[in-house]
Amino acid sequence: MITNLKTSEKQIKQASDGAKSDADSNNSNMRINEPFRGNELLANKRLTPEERVKLEQTIPTDERLCFVIVGDLTLKANYGKSLLALTGSHIYAFDENHKDGVYICDYKSAGRAYVKRCYGNAILVVSENCEKTQEDTESAKDGESGEKEKRVNLLRFSYKAASLFEAAAHFIQNISAGHDLDGEMAAVEASFEKQFLVCPRCGRSLMRPGAPCMNCRSKKKIIGKIAHYVLPYKNILLLCMLLAGVTTAASLVPPYMTGMLVDDVLPNGNRKMLAVCVVTLLVTYLVQYGIGAVRSYLLKISGDKIVADLRSDIYEKAQHLKMSFYDRSSTGSVINRISGDTSTIQGFMLRITQEVVIQLFLLVGIIIIMFSRNWQLTLLSLVPVPLVVIGSRIFGRKIAPFYRRIWRRWSAVSSILTDTIPGIRVIKAFTNEKNSVKNFNAYNNEWLKTDIKASRITTLFPNIVNFVITCGSLLIWGLGGSLVIGNSALFSPGLLVSFISYTSMFYGPVNFFANLNDSYQQALNAVERVMDIIDAEPESNFGEGQHPDRLKGKIEFRNVSFSFDRSKKTLSDINITIEPGDIVGIVGTTGAGKSTLINLLMRYYDTYSGEILVDGINIRDIDLEFYRSEIGYVQQEPMMFHDSIYNNIAYGAKNVQVEEVIHAAEIANAHEFIARLPDAYDTVLGERGTGLSGGERQRLSIARAVLKNPGILFFDEATASVDSETESLIQEAIERLIRGRTTLMIAHRLSTLRKANKIIVVDNGEIIEMGSPEELMEKKGKYYKLVQIQTMSDEINKTKAEERFE
Amino acid sequence: MSRMYIDGDLARFFRKDITTVDMELYDGRRFDGLEPRRLFPLTGLEKYIALLDADGAERGIIRDLNTLSKKDREIITDCLAEYYLIPKVAKIYGCREKFGLLTIEANTDKGDVSIVIRNISHSIKLMYNTRVLLRDTNDNRYEIPDLTKLDKKSRSEIDPFL
Repeated sequence: MITNLKTSEKQIKQASDGAKSDADSNNSNMRINEPFRGNELLANKRLTPEERVKLEQTIPTDERLCFVIVGDLTLKANYGKSLLALTGSHIYAFDENHKDGVYICDYKSAGRAYVKRCYGNAILVVSENCEKTQEDTESAKDGESGEKEKRVNLLRFSYKAASLFEAAAHFIQNISAGHDLDGEMAAVEASFEKQFLVCPRCGRSLMRPGAPCMNCRSKKKIIGKIAHYVLPYKNILLLCMLLAGVTTAASLVPPYMTGMLVDDVLPNGNRKMLAVCVVTLLVTYLVQYGIGAVRSYLLKISGDKIVADLRSDIYEKAQHLKMSFYDRSSTGSVINRISGDTSTIQGFMLRITQEVVIQLFLLVGIIIIMFSRNWQLTLLSLVPVPLVVIGSRIFGRKIAPFYRRIWRRWSAVSSILTDTIPGIRVIKAFTNEKNSVKNFNAYNNEWLKTDIKASRITTLFPNIVNFVITCGSLLIWGLGGSLVIGNSALFSPGLLVSFISYTSMFYGPVNFFANLNDSYQQALNAVERVMDIIDAEPESNFGEGQHPDRLKGKIEFRNVSFSFDRSKKTLSDINITIEPGDIVGIVGTTGAGKSTLINLLMRYYDTYSGEILVDGINIRDIDLEFYRSEIGYVQQEPMMFHDSIYNNIAYGAKNVQVEEVIHAAEIANAHEFIARLPDAYDTVLGERGTGLSGGERQRLSIARAVLKNPGILFFDEATASVDSETESLIQEAIERLIRGRTTLMIAHRLSTLRKANKIIVVDNGEIIEMGSPEELMEKKGKYYKLVQIQTMSDEINKTKAEERFE
Repeated sequence: MSRMYIDGDLARFFRKDITTVDMELYDGRRFDGLEPRRLFPLTGLEKYIALLDADGAERGIIRDLNTLSKKDREIITDCLAEYYLIPKVAKIYGCREKFGLLTIEANTDKGDVSIVIRNISHSIKLMYNTRVLLRDTNDNRYEIPDLTKLDKKSRSEIDPFL
């Protein structure tokens, strides 16, 4: 039954200006319990008075309002508020584009309910079995039942609210199918809870409901976050500062002595005093440069240590970042942060901890001396200072975006390098050298253009400052010189000479502080990018320290759904049970979701809904390091490192004996080919294992898995890219390895699954068939078809091979 | 497998749902419930539009929307407009960066919106030096079609983040 209720236009103000308030609460997509007719109402946002009136007027008092979801788009895809209210018997969809502003449907007539994911938005659709047609609906023949199916687009929303609407769709569908209301409400509450597990401020996931966000809690001033890298070296840095005090004090002596020489020693011909002055200056210079050298050395050591610590931390953090970080980050940009940005930060930290103090000390010292000698001239010297300070602020504002842009352009250049240099064989094979150079030059020129633009500002500004400063010293020459000429008794030439020296020294610190903004902006950008990694959400390890002694290998997927981005579900409602020791073949077309199943089991991605259990424990609650150490994973493209074959096999294994490695290689059918190599196990592989064939690399990766002795094994197309002879060698090795272990094997070549006692057929992210190979062959479904196609293909290939042989 | 490219009057289209069409070919073959999808959603808005059936199988590709009749072009364009929601930013009220999140308060052709971006260097893409593509923390997409056409204040707000 479908009805349209008329709601009062006057009372209910459509939320045309809703986007603004929505903007304020952009991240407040959280569970809210608010009173409604004496009960607590579950909602994702606080309801406005208008929305309350709408609900009060539309929903009969005898109906139990279960929950409300506030959407952010109208059906016409404009920003505005929409509202889905689900009661025990009806669906109420409030949208200005529905007739009279609301669409009502009861669960009895509602059939399928689903969220149609579009690009940047999604629609909640309910299909009804009904003869009557209506606006906003369309009819479609149901192929199997022959009944008329009417699809109604209830509400449109952005991805922000999509997961709640998904829960609502499940709710509608299950209630329509006659499921228990309270049971379904528990599932909806769980979805709301999950929303609540996200920090409303920064959107990162929380450890538990209501827990403080690790990211926001640790936010201090950005430079302050770097300070703890400096603290371990505070003693050396303090010593350096002390030494700097001595050298700075020493640097104030020469101008004073110069004045004395000009005024007293030289006019009076006092040779003894001249000798004293020269010796004093010599000692001063010795102190200044000798101590300066020691200080520079200490600073270099501590600076290098700071940057090494920072790099180690970033690298360590990078090891524990989620796979999703690497899915969206280019290798070049990560390398750039570890190498370039850390050096920028090091330079700035040393400037902040050392130079700022020294320059300040120098500035104050000079001002005191200058004031004590002639306060009028001192004030005159200060005239350019405000100009320099204001200019510096303008400069900072202008230059900051440039540094960001330069970095992005440079990251793009780095990405080209990290892509193309390892792929040089492909470039040569496709004779694409010219295009490659052209492409590189295009990015390099982009960087150059941006850098040149920035250089205009960075070079112009210091020169303007220097000009202003020089003009300041001209004022001293002009006024001081006229004072000397007018009354040399009051203002001696020596005083003028020392004053000029102090003035030029005075502008050193002023210049330093003016340019400090430049390095500050550079460092700030670098710190931001480094913090991108340091502050990035690591792989969650909620079960740290908790694990059984050994995994037996029972694997269960319970209602697991997953999507890489929100536009398309990669896996939908997966339910599987695998017993310990089962050998399970996962088959399906490319892109069906086979590897994603393994990725979720490996805990590369944690953002799925539902549960994955191993030996009855949720894998999120098992210590991550232990869990992965219990799994052997042989990939289609095994990754080898630039190291010896021995170390590549023993990769990740602790306290391993030589004979264990040889034994593992033997089981993996690798020992023979390794022994034939001139350097045998000491053969150093090229980057990514160059120097070995694909099949040889694959056997090394199997040897790695053997050495790991895991309870659970995953094979992802392990024999996909090898010839038949190598395949049989690998297959033999695999069969030795999988004995007694739970094994999941993804394979296109079904012949490789001959040992499997269970087959799972995945299609479009869903499991369409599951059972023993015999059962599935009898069923004559998708698996049967795949086997038929492959058998035919194998026969054709065999015939062709025989023809060629003849 | 030969791919069917559709040009000019090779086919007629009828609107079926907000995002789907029925297609009738010149030889009388008919395909129902096809969903037009851009093969180049970022770089080719009117070219190479794939037509997918309910199972996601491609039934044809429209080479260029401009070769279709006015009525057919409108049908396909309307379907695409329903499927692809990429609000076009017309004005930027302000940008603020806090806790590593950039919040852009903007006016778009779909109304006012607050765009929250977590990772600036990955979620803001500048194309051809004037077109900016934005992706927010929830994977929603936005676009500044031409930076040079923004007013001075909007430019000054967004410039530091490009």
